[in-house]
Amino acid sequence: MTALVLLALPLAAALALASVTLKRGVMLAMSSVALACTVLAATQLATATEAKLLAPWARLDDTARLFLFVVDGIYLGVASYVWNRVHTTPSLESEGRRFAVLSLVFLSATNAVMMANHLVVQWLALEATTLAIAPLVIRPGVTAARQASWRYLLFSSIGLGLVLLGLSCVSRGAGDGAHGWFLDALPTPEGTWGRLGLALVVLGLGTKLGLAPMYSWLPETYDEAPPAVTALLGAVQFNAALVMLLRVVQAWRPTGGALLTGLLLAMGLGSVLVSTASLIATRNLKRLLAYASINHAGVIAIGLGVGRGASYGVLLYVLSNAYIKAILFLTAGKMKSYYRTKDTARIQGLIRDLPYSGVFLMVGTFALLGFPPFGSFFGELLILSALGGSGQTLIFAALCVLATMSFVATGRTVFPMIWGEPKQTDTWPRQTLRSVSPKLLFLVALIALGLYVPPAMEGLLKAVAATLEARQ
Amino acid sequence: MSTLLVALLGVMLLPLFLGKWRMSLFGLACQGLLLGWLAVEGHAEPPDAEGWLRLVDLVVVRGLLAPGLLYVVMRSRDSAARHDVIPPNLLSWTLAGALVLGAFTFAEGLVPEAGDARLQAGVATAGLLLAFFVLGSQSSTFGQMVGALRFENALALFELGAPEPEQPIWLRAGLLVVFLVTVGFLVHYLETLGPETPPTAPTDAPEGPTL
Repeated sequence: MTALVLLALPLAAALALASVTLKRGVMLAMSSVALACTVLAATQLATATEAKLLAPWARLDDTARLFLFVVDGIYLGVASYVWNRVHTTPSLESEGRRFAVLSLVFLSATNAVMMANHLVVQWLALEATTLAIAPLVIRPGVTAARQASWRYLLFSSIGLGLVLLGLSCVSRGAGDGAHGWFLDALPTPEGTWGRLGLALVVLGLGTKLGLAPMYSWLPETYDEAPPAVTALLGAVQFNAALVMLLRVVQAWRPTGGALLTGLLLAMGLGSVLVSTASLIATRNLKRLLAYASINHAGVIAIGLGVGRGASYGVLLYVLSNAYIKAILFLTAGKMKSYYRTKDTARIQGLIRDLPYSGVFLMVGTFALLGFPPFGSFFGELLILSALGGSGQTLIFAALCVLATMSFVATGRTVFPMIWGEPKQTDTWPRQTLRSVSPKLLFLVALIALGLYVPPAMEGLLKAVAATLEARQ
Repeated sequence: MSTLLVALLGVMLLPLFLGKWRMSLFGLACQGLLLGWLAVEGHAEPPDAEGWLRLVDLVVVRGLLAPGLLYVVMRSRDSAARHDVIPPNLLSWTLAGALVLGAFTFAEGLVPEAGDARLQAGVATAGLLLAFFVLGSQSSTFGQMVGALRFENALALFELGAPEPEQPIWLRAGLLVVFLVTVGFLVHYLETLGPETPPTAPTDAPEGPTL
């Protein structure tokens, strides 16, 4: 029943909002559905229920329960942020309505990705998230945003096409086609076809995650999309694509371990390399955060590639990252609407101009850079220690050097924005607690991941980590 | 089957050298129709429900609907006849030929026995590499769309050669719906962005409020 509600409730609400002309209450409906889904996902943290009604196509295993709670919670925060934006800026009402309808479809599809027990169903759901969110990247009257939306759709289609092609190759390698794509009975990727298929699946999912070599859509899309949509892309859809990659790793690590490790390490290191170079060069705040996202995706890929010992760290890093991205992208949107520029050199004295945003940018950046006591610090530490212990000395050394470079590049750009002398003398309406409450909740979750992980969550993290390392 | 595959390779390759948008769309339409023909070739019995759905996908959507809708938009915008999807020079043409040769060499490694299966793998790989070539050398919206549709067709040819795993008909219908919606998006973007890369305003141009 839970699985059915998580799928059907947002979809039904989206259809209702699309067909009924409500003058008021659209934002309330969207936020209520998000709250209901989050509460439902939270009830699954401690006690699992089986997805009997949708069996065998859906399942609520540890991976699904962990990520459902995180992404539904982040969606709730973003929905509240949009509600407040529409409340304070009435000219955004029609955009808010469009956001509500499409983002609820997006939420339903994301929940489907998390719960799918069949690779092709999961693929379909992931494609549905892309089709639902691509129109939201468009900002009325802004050609660059429309172009970014097109490039996002193009790269996503190619990436997901590669995944489908990979599955087709694995199927050919398996021979008779008597298998299905249920997660617990996947064909073994053997022989030339099988290995080619596995490589294409990982490359395709890497494209969706913004990993090198096909990452160029990400900075443009994150930069041009409205902040709320960027937060959904970075913190929700990223995790949907990641869950599909986790399913692939869980199923195929025992038979294709060496190939998986090689691919993930190469793509991860490549991503950290290109993103570090771009972090040094950029002067655009949203692009800087986008390159940091590519950097983090690279670290996650490296951690997944190492496997043994790093998996718990990877999960801690992934969850922390989701909250960091949500905080930073929403804060970047607030800053842009105040300063009317994305140029980091023209923004100074944020902590005095917009105190809340200043604090969020500061704490978010500390977490982004992997300072203690945040989960990202412990996650990165565990990944590095597993990498060192696995004998990958060169990759370990390269990652340490690149992490230091990106640390310096990000810090030297962001910190003067926070503490420098203000350049603007405009007055700005005081930020209300309601307007910052979503980011405040993300911040609490982020700090909790570093200081105290509740036992239910801790248990899930360990269980999922075990599935990623099993049978190596 | 071999004749059909050679014809398919021909319609993948020839429009690259002719440099007209009508030829690009005609090539895509021919690819869809030939893929449909390949799907029924060698089957004595009439197709089942899933087979019909596959035919609708290949013939109606890929062969007629997608190129047809893009044609209507290009006509309505009164686009110039010339629209190269790869740079019109000797280097590009040589590279396209080399990609096809490389694809067939790669297929020899994938399918050791000579025959239709190897030819199909070769043509599908060639289609895929040419699609990436088009995508890699294009910044125009129309050229990228042609590249994306070429990629989808090469994917369909790969699937035709793979053993079909057990899956319910609603799953194939879902794949078809996703492709249809994607085609709808292509038409929308072509209408709003135009076939060429539109000029964009400076990054810091004043904008209205956003969500």
